[in-house]
Formats: sequence, C-alpha cells, structure tokens
Amino acid sequence: MEIRDRDFDREVLKSELPVLVEFWGSWCPPCQKEKYILEKLREEYKGRMKIVTINVDRNPRAAYRYGIKCVPTYIIFHRGEAIHSDIAAKSEGQLREMIEEALKKIPNQL
Amino acid sequence: MKLHNAHKTCWNCPAAILKGNVDFRACGQSLEAIRRRIEREGLLIECARLPDLGHFEPTITFEECPEWRPTKYGYLLENMRVMILGIDGYLGWTLALKLGALGCEVSGVDCFLRRKMVRELGTDSVVPIYPMEERLKAAKEVLDIDIKFREINILDREKLGQFMREVQPEAIVHYGEIPSAPYSMIDCNHAIQVQYNNVIGTLGLLFLMKEICPESSLIKLGTLGEYGAPLTGRPLFEGLFPADAVLRWRGREWSLGGELTPRDPVSFYHVSKVQDTFNIYEACKYWWLRSYDVMQGVIYGVHTDEVAADPRLRTRLDVDEWFGTVVNRFVAQAILGMPLTVYGEGEQIRGFIALEDAMECMVRLISSPPEPGQYDVVNQVSGLHKVSELAETVARVAAEFGYDVKIQRVENPRVEADYHPFEVVSTKLPNELGFTPKVPLEVEIRRMFELLTQPHIVERIRKVAHLIRPRTWWSGEKKVVETLEVYRPGTRRRRGFKPRLITDRERFPVSKVEEVERAVEAIGGGEGGDGNKG
Ligand SMILES: NC(=O)c1ccc[n+]([C@@H]2O[C@H](COP(=O)([O-])OP(=O)(O)OC[C@H]3O[C@@H](n4cnc5c(N)ncnc54)[C@H](O)[C@@H]3O)[C@@H](O)[C@H]2O)c1
Repeated sequence: MEIRDRDFDREVLKSELPVLVEFWGSWCPPCQKEKYILEKLREEYKGRMKIVTINVDRNPRAAYRYGIKCVPTYIIFHRGEAIHSDIAAKSEGQLREMIEEALKKIPNQL
Repeated sequence: MKLHNAHKTCWNCPAAILKGNVDFRACGQSLEAIRRRIEREGLLIECARLPDLGHFEPTITFEECPEWRPTKYGYLLENMRVMILGIDGYLGWTLALKLGALGCEVSGVDCFLRRKMVRELGTDSVVPIYPMEERLKAAKEVLDIDIKFREINILDREKLGQFMREVQPEAIVHYGEIPSAPYSMIDCNHAIQVQYNNVIGTLGLLFLMKEICPESSLIKLGTLGEYGAPLTGRPLFEGLFPADAVLRWRGREWSLGGELTPRDPVSFYHVSKVQDTFNIYEACKYWWLRSYDVMQGVIYGVHTDEVAADPRLRTRLDVDEWFGTVVNRFVAQAILGMPLTVYGEGEQIRGFIALEDAMECMVRLISSPPEPGQYDVVNQVSGLHKVSELAETVARVAAEFGYDVKIQRVENPRVEADYHPFEVVSTKLPNELGFTPKVPLEVEIRRMFELLTQPHIVERIRKVAHLIRPRTWWSGEKKVVETLEVYRPGTRRRRGFKPRLITDRERFPVSKVEEVERAVEAIGGGEGGDGNKG
C-alpha cells in the first residue's frame, strides 16, 4: 500500500499496529521490484505488522523528516517511535527476518 | 474495464514540468531553493500543455486528464509529439505512419545511412522504397499525415539539438542505429563504424534529452540478442532480475531484484546495444530520464494497413546476408527456387515478432511512459522458433503459392550454439500494457508471398540473389558457406530443446481484448485517437 505525506500521521505514527515503512524512489530498480514482495508480506503479516511504501520524491516532507539519504530505506515504527531502521534492498528472507526481529522488541505482541 | 494506462498520473506524463519543481534529492539533485518552497507550500508542479492550471498537485490520472484521449492502444496524448530517430528505416517509417494515423504529431530524422550502406554493398531493398520527399508527399496525399522530417546525422549533436528544441518531443523513439550483426563482423572498420555510430549516437542523445526534454520518454531499441542464449537454460528476464531472484553463496543470500541481468551479446553489433543499455541505465539514474529499453525479437513481415495503402508508402525489406533477417530471407529464397539456407543444425532458437505486432507494442509503450528516473526493459516477442522450423513453415506456405521448396543445411558462419535451451520471460507487454499478438507467423508469411511474388519485386530479388548466401564469417574469413545437406521439408527429425515463452498471459486473457475495445468505444475513442471525454 502506497501512502502519501498527508496520510503519514494517520497511517504510520498513529497506527495501533507496528508499521514497516519502505521509502523508495521511482529511479531505483530494486525498489520497483521489491514492491511485489512487500505486497506479499503485507498479506502474511496482516494483524501483526502493517506494511506501507512511500515515494521519497513525491512525499518530500516525510523524506526530509526522517533524513532519508538512500533508497530503499526501511523504518519500523511503533506508537510513533522509530524502533528499527535499515537500508539496501533485501530478499524476502531478509525482510522477514527484519520484521521478526522488530516484533521481538515489541512487548505483548500477539 | 479500464485501459491499461488509465491509472497513470502526472508523474508519468511528459507534459508535467518536474524540473525546478521536484527535489529529486536521492539522485544527488537536491536543491535548497526547491526544498524550502516544498516545505512551505507542499509539492506542486506545472503542466506544459495546460499552463492555466498554474501550480497544482501532480495527482491527475490519464483517465481524468482532458489531454489524454482514449484509443484502442490505451490513452494517448492529443496530438502527441513523437520524434522518431531513424525514420527512413524498416521500422521507423512504418511506425511514423502508424502514429500519424493515430493523430500524433510525428517528426523524424535520418541521414540515409542505411540506404548508403546498402548501396555500397551492392544490394538493395527488394520492396522498392521512394525518396523521402515522395514518401512525405504520399503520406499527406493518401493518409493525410504531416510528418516533419529533417536530414540529420544523430552524431551531429548541434543539429539534432536544434531540431529537438524546435519540436519539443514528448516521446522519442530511437531506431537510428546500424542494425546488423553480420555487417559489424565484416572487418575491423565495420565493427568500429557500428559501435561508434550506435554507442556515441545514443550517448549524445541522452545528453541532449537531459538539456532539452528531460520529461519525455525514450523508447530505445535493443535486441533480444543482448542476452545471448545462456547454456544453463536460466530464463531471460526482462532486463532486470525479478524481486524474488536471490544470490546464494557460502550460506548467505542477497536479493538480486532490480539488478541488471547478465548480458552475453553475440556479435560486435550486439555489444553496441549492451553498451547503450548501460549508458541509458546510468542516464536515468543521474538525470531522472525515463526509458523503455526494448529487447526486440527478430522482426518479419511487410504489412501494416498504412504501408499497404500505397506503393509509395511501402517500407524497405532486405534479404541480403548483412541486412536480411531470417524469415524475410527464406521467403525470398523460396520465390527464387533456392533451397532455404539453415545455418548449422538449425536448432538455434530465437524470439520473433511480426512487423504489425511490433508496431502495436511501440504505440503502447509510447502511451505508457515510465516514471521519472525509471529505466525499464521489455522483451518484445510474440513467439520463439527454431530456425529449422521457420524454414518448414515458409516451405508450407510457399507450397500454397505453388512453390516446391527444399531446405539446405549450410556451414554456420557465426559463433553460436546449435543446440541450446531457451526460455524467455515477456510479461510486461501482455499484462501491464494490454498487448496480445494478433498476427500468426503463417498469416504474415502469406502476406509476404502476396507482395514479393509481384513480377517487379521478383525481378529485384533476382538482382540480389547472389548476396543471400552468407560469406561473412565471425572468424573474419570471407568465403561462401558450403552446403552440408539438402532435404525436403517434413523429412527431418526434430531434436534439441523446446523453447519456452513465459507471458503469464492468463492474467490478461484474450477475451479481455474485446472487452477493451468495447470499453474504448464506450468512452468514445478509436483508432483515430480523437475520442472525447466530454
Ligand atoms: N529489424 C529487426 O529485426 C530488428 C530486431 C531487433 C532490433 N532492431 C533494432 O531496431 C532499430 C531499427 O531497425 P530497422 O530494421 O528499422 O533498421 P534500419 O536500418 O532499416 O533503420 C535504421 C535507420 O536509422 C538510420 N540511422 C542509422 N544511424 C543513423 C545516424 N547516425 N543518424 C541518422 N540516422 C541514422 C538509418 O539510415 C536507417 O534509416 C535498430 O536499432 C535495430 O537494431 C531491429
């Protein structure tokens, strides 16, 4: 799911669930491809982790705010706080590992 | 049912003025002034076609925008300005007429290099082609199409730049290269000529686009031969690895998704195309240019409605060893009563597409520009065939026209595997761009026989008959290849590998094509591109 600057507060910072945000650029071929995997994981983690993407050129405010210097950048938010961040394109296995690690940091996660 | 490009937005549109309005920071283009403005006002752009909109949010879809009109190939910008480099060539001229018929404002350049090369080699197009002035006049008279033509060598950047400034193209189709593998293998001079013309021409063009029209898309012709035919049998993906491709090494893994797949070009000509690929890939990254690099299969055929409308509008067709492609050559040989020359075992597999289908793909690509900075690749093929099977098919159709055809295996002058697996992925055109091939191989071959058996054309084929059998060896030797075996069609046992074309077409079944056509009618569009959204 692609979000925009104006939805960032609602979709990410105020979300009940933890949120993985992928910051991407249309000129970044690995980002373009990774969207398919993120869609798949979005289904798989439904109810445990929300997964969204945001284009850095179209949504400069979010990109400025989090100082995005390279894409893809992943930030996992929980209750408005960034609890994990990472850069560089990942395989499905690596993404899953990253999500599982972050979930461990969150108490009372189902 | 929506047209394939209905959901695209200003971000894909060449009329959207992004330069100066968007802060493409991560491309290394961050501009403090833009940043401050965006922080104050949000991200707003302007439209080159609708200046009255002032500054606005770039979220208008093609379906909503009054400038994008429905046609049966998707929404097209009204009077879209498309510039064709290499407009005098086999594909360039055909596309010019097709786009003109769709209501595009077509412009083009050519330096007639192809005509000169052919003349120097003592050969000629077997379908007569007219001088450019006459072509242009006929296009106006017969089809009411105005084409803005300039005789320019693409290497002359000053002249090309002037013309680009004048036209302000919204899409550029780059066909203007030397298209022949054997020509590049004649000797050192020819190899250098091909690489210099193709690579430097394209590199210069990229710099001009950056300066003059960074928002327009570049549709650049590469070839399926850039990939080679990997003996591992791994699929030939569409230029970049898919998301789920991973590299495993010593117990660790990395994503390959989005990385360029390996290239294994099969001649110095193909090397020029690979070099182009890298140059375009980089330019997209540095300057947020956008491009489709089209890995096109071998084209065959003579027909589109527009070129068939008048003898003066016909496009060229060559059958000599340097510029003739395989199906076109086989048809000429059949007409001359010459056994069809299959190189080596004839088990080589290649990707093919009919002229008319290839033109439809190009229109669809023009209609659906990539996003800013996006370098994308499409594999443009409609079928994979073994060379020996093509000979059988041509022989079968030839029999319908009363020709008794034999096939001959000759020495293979090229360095290539005679037996090899071949698996090609071509999913974007059928699924994302709504393309379904419409011209079966035999249908186009029949059309070729109808045209090429006309007495004045048979006469022209006869004149170049001695140039059909190859003498240009990849080893550098110059000697006519010898016959290894002559056989009757249908008598040779099939061996080797079975090709595999992966289209995932079930996601866009053929029945949907009719649905699209109905949808276009419903919104008032059609072939002419003059549909009105009201
Ligand atoms: N025909 C095929 O089967 C096929 C298959 C795959 C890819 N392609 C590619 O498609 C493109 C077009 O192929 P085609 O068959 O129409 O070839 P073509 O030779 O008929 O057309 C190319 C045109 O470009 C012009 N040209 C070349 N260099 C130029 C320069 N420096 N300045 C100005 N004009 C120049 C030529 O004069 C010619 O008219 C080529 O890039 C070719 O490599 C063709």
